[in-house]
Amino acid sequence: MIRRLYKWFDDRLGASEFTEHALKKVFPDHWSFMLGEIALYCFVVLVATGIFLGLFFDPTSTKVTYHGPYLPLNGVPMSRAYESVVNLSFGVRAGLVMRQIHHWAALVFIASIVVHLCRIYFTGAFRRPREINWVIGVTLLLLGIFNGFTGYSMPDDLLSGTGLRIAYSVALSIPVVGTWIAFLVFGGEFPSNAIIGRLFFTHVFLVPAALGALIGVHLAIIWRQKHTQFPGRLEREDNVVGTHLWPTYAAKSVALFLGVFATLSAIGGLVQINPVWLYGPFRPEQVTSPAQPDWFLGWIEGALRLFPSFEVRALGFEIPSVFYPAVLVPGLTFMLLYAWPFLEAWVTGDHGPHHLLDRPRDRPVRTALGAATLTFYAMLFFSASNDLIAKGPAVPVDTVTMIFLTLVFALPPVVAFGTYKLMRSLRDQTVKALSGTTSTPGKFAPRS
Amino acid sequence: MARRGGWIGFALLCTLVASVGVTIVYAEGGQPQLEGLLLAVALGGIALALVGWAKAFMPHGPHVEERERVPSEIVHRPDVIQYVDEGAEEIGRRRFLARLLGLAVLALGGAAVFPIRSLGSAPGRSLFKTAWKPGVRAVREDGTFVRASEVAVDSILTVFPEGHTEDGDSPAVLIHLPEGLYRAPPHRADWSPQGFVAFSKLCTHAGCPVGLYQAPSKQLFCPCHQSVFDVIDGARPTSGPATRPLPQLPIAIDGSGFIVAAGDFSDPVGPGFWNRDRT
Amino acid sequence: MRAFAAALLVCCAGCSYFHATPGPYRPPGLANPPGAATGQQLYLRDCAWCHGDKGGGTSRAPDLRTGTNGPALTDFELRTGRMPLANMSEPVRRRPRFYSEPQIEAIVGYVATLGGKGPAVPSPHPDRGSLALGEQLYQANCAACHSTTGVGGALTPWSHEIPPRPHAPGRFVAPRVTQATPREIAEAMQTGPGAMPVFGKEAFDEQQIDSVVRYVRAMRTPADHGGAPIGHVGPVAEGAVAWLVGLGLLLLFVRLIGTKAGQYG
Repeated sequence: MIRRLYKWFDDRLGASEFTEHALKKVFPDHWSFMLGEIALYCFVVLVATGIFLGLFFDPTSTKVTYHGPYLPLNGVPMSRAYESVVNLSFGVRAGLVMRQIHHWAALVFIASIVVHLCRIYFTGAFRRPREINWVIGVTLLLLGIFNGFTGYSMPDDLLSGTGLRIAYSVALSIPVVGTWIAFLVFGGEFPSNAIIGRLFFTHVFLVPAALGALIGVHLAIIWRQKHTQFPGRLEREDNVVGTHLWPTYAAKSVALFLGVFATLSAIGGLVQINPVWLYGPFRPEQVTSPAQPDWFLGWIEGALRLFPSFEVRALGFEIPSVFYPAVLVPGLTFMLLYAWPFLEAWVTGDHGPHHLLDRPRDRPVRTALGAATLTFYAMLFFSASNDLIAKGPAVPVDTVTMIFLTLVFALPPVVAFGTYKLMRSLRDQTVKALSGTTSTPGKFAPRS
Repeated sequence: MARRGGWIGFALLCTLVASVGVTIVYAEGGQPQLEGLLLAVALGGIALALVGWAKAFMPHGPHVEERERVPSEIVHRPDVIQYVDEGAEEIGRRRFLARLLGLAVLALGGAAVFPIRSLGSAPGRSLFKTAWKPGVRAVREDGTFVRASEVAVDSILTVFPEGHTEDGDSPAVLIHLPEGLYRAPPHRADWSPQGFVAFSKLCTHAGCPVGLYQAPSKQLFCPCHQSVFDVIDGARPTSGPATRPLPQLPIAIDGSGFIVAAGDFSDPVGPGFWNRDRT
Repeated sequence: MRAFAAALLVCCAGCSYFHATPGPYRPPGLANPPGAATGQQLYLRDCAWCHGDKGGGTSRAPDLRTGTNGPALTDFELRTGRMPLANMSEPVRRRPRFYSEPQIEAIVGYVATLGGKGPAVPSPHPDRGSLALGEQLYQANCAACHSTTGVGGALTPWSHEIPPRPHAPGRFVAPRVTQATPREIAEAMQTGPGAMPVFGKEAFDEQQIDSVVRYVRAMRTPADHGGAPIGHVGPVAEGAVAWLVGLGLLLLFVRLIGTKAGQYG
């Protein structure tokens, strides 16, 4: 039956040559090459669950009074947007589980992008000819973070509304054009009636379209350039070693998709996330504590908490204090990320193509820098929970903040040094094991 | 082999049962924990079955495929470049027109960006003023007026200008300090009658409501980034990232005992912006 | 005559000295509460060494006659086990109650005679309150410190206190409110114990207090419709679960599916 179906399509499209080439294509299948796929399948789950949610959510700021099964809010005024989310959570069959799967998928989506980015970085897969895919990948990370933020801000609850207020203040802080940017994006002074609708349109249409297109290009380039691989007995710069797409790799890939969906479903049903009915509707004069954004913005939140009270004022103008941790730091971060392949090529003088990967121990400087950078952002990330950390042993929040401020600068150099030493010793061990000496200078060269 | 097949079969059976199960749960009205768990089993069953199948029965390498010996770009590139050059020559020959074309496209592009201006109002002076004016009575969130006698010592209340309980920039905190404690900044001696003081509720760091009041030390604490404001000292920031004191609202107690404003806040409320100091 | 005057002077000086600066540290009799001591006896044995013989306060503890001190505040502190403190390094926080019901009543009655003008012990009726009104009042007045979910949050340390008092750790936290009884909630609102501001009877009428109490009590069993609440602290716990459980499980899964280093050689 399948044969007949294939013949029907092939008669009209004439794609047999391409199909044969595609099905026989070899994919290196080291487990660490599948991290990007986890992200891809999280995206698929996001779109699928998102379609369901989009059919129920009402992106309107109009004030209504809630009357529904959740009693503590019965008779409480709120926006239509918030009401539609509470209704979805309590009054729509499968509504809450879809909402939760969607939100967990978003968290895991960005986490898997970060882990994937680390793999690419530490194995040098961003080198020529894969700089374009690196740039696309960093853009995917940026868009993912942006869509995560717009997504959890849409329900118009007290916690996310506070985050929107901070975003508005960050926009205001941009020199010269800040007030214009804030007013144009929000449609006026905060809180405006336009923002929820704009978040909806951006989150549901604009960014997913961009994500979809870029993911398509990302995959097409991998297809064209073929995947990288670790050096080994069979692997060389001019071949690809792995499994054929059909049937094995395809089966495993489908299994991974189902596995991702299964994991997200399990957490989606068993672990509560973003219980907006407990946070209450957003009101601009109210706030809750603790107040943190979703994890992927934790590093910026931590920077905001750690950065001392400092601002530049001159000639009647000012660059206020939130600008430095919330605009400069992320701006520099992403500039560095985008520039990295070109920066490394310029510093090492290595402009040649590479299809074989480095093992982290073979590039101790790159690995050490990467580990130190991760440490820096991890310290920023953990400082976002300084009030939760302080609450446990009941120490002053200021003390916790001071400790993190010290760690953020003191720990990365220590980690860099330690990682460098560790990589060198691992590398020397490997060389010694293979050649019986430790005196080989330079990096481990792949067999050609 | 047969044992492997047995496990694969078992996994698929789990999927079958779980799928039926989740359908029943839906039909019975739904329950999030069961829905998630059964869905996970249903999907996970096929996933594990496929993995087992792939590992046990499908061919798995190593398969080897060669990369291109001579990259296609080296073979075809000269032709492409020549073809594009030939097409562009026509344009290049008419220099003046080419330049005019470039200018026209630029101008059109500039004009096309302008619909962005429709997205919102101009900032203008809106960041510099709120709805508080002399004589405007303070109200609670529910619209009721505030009598001075209703706010005990060491109490805090969030107040709005009458008729503006939905505003984002005008919320203020009304605090009743023990009399004589408040150290008024210069020119504000009469802004705090009988120990009542009012400040903007918006943190001057990133705009979060400064909702936590610690009565024994008379400090306002912002939960977002932990700025601390000393109420007695004109709500000056003493800790955390905020750089400026909370703007003060001049208040008075009118003839009937209600709290009224005597003017707008002392400074633009909320976080800083480029031209904030140009009042 | 002169000797008598001198002796009188010395006695007066001695008395005033001992009242102004209480004598040597006498730890409270926390180990062996007597059977049926009067309120005054319990007070003098356990409270006076810090709060003074007549409740006038010392360098260790505040005056019990000023501010919102009165039956409600005393009842709150004793009922929630915050008082008595065994020593100055103990933090002021909720603990198992030390006194029995009759003892609490006795001490409350005695302290009331010392002159505090604070509110009387309230008797709220949560069933008369409105859940929705309680939600709105709680969100507006309490959520900032105690969290919308009632789990409490961190506060800032004192930079100074008015009037100045020795540092007593344990006040850096706004506590969890879901363990409080209706009476304790109403007492806390009206007297503003610890770091709390006062949400007094002048500002909140009986219906409003009943509503807040009803809502706080309802928060003991929050509608965790979505599953395990992981502490009700929000995105921090959710991020941890996403990384450790979500990504963790998937990393194990790809280890299962994919090949490992050197598998082909």
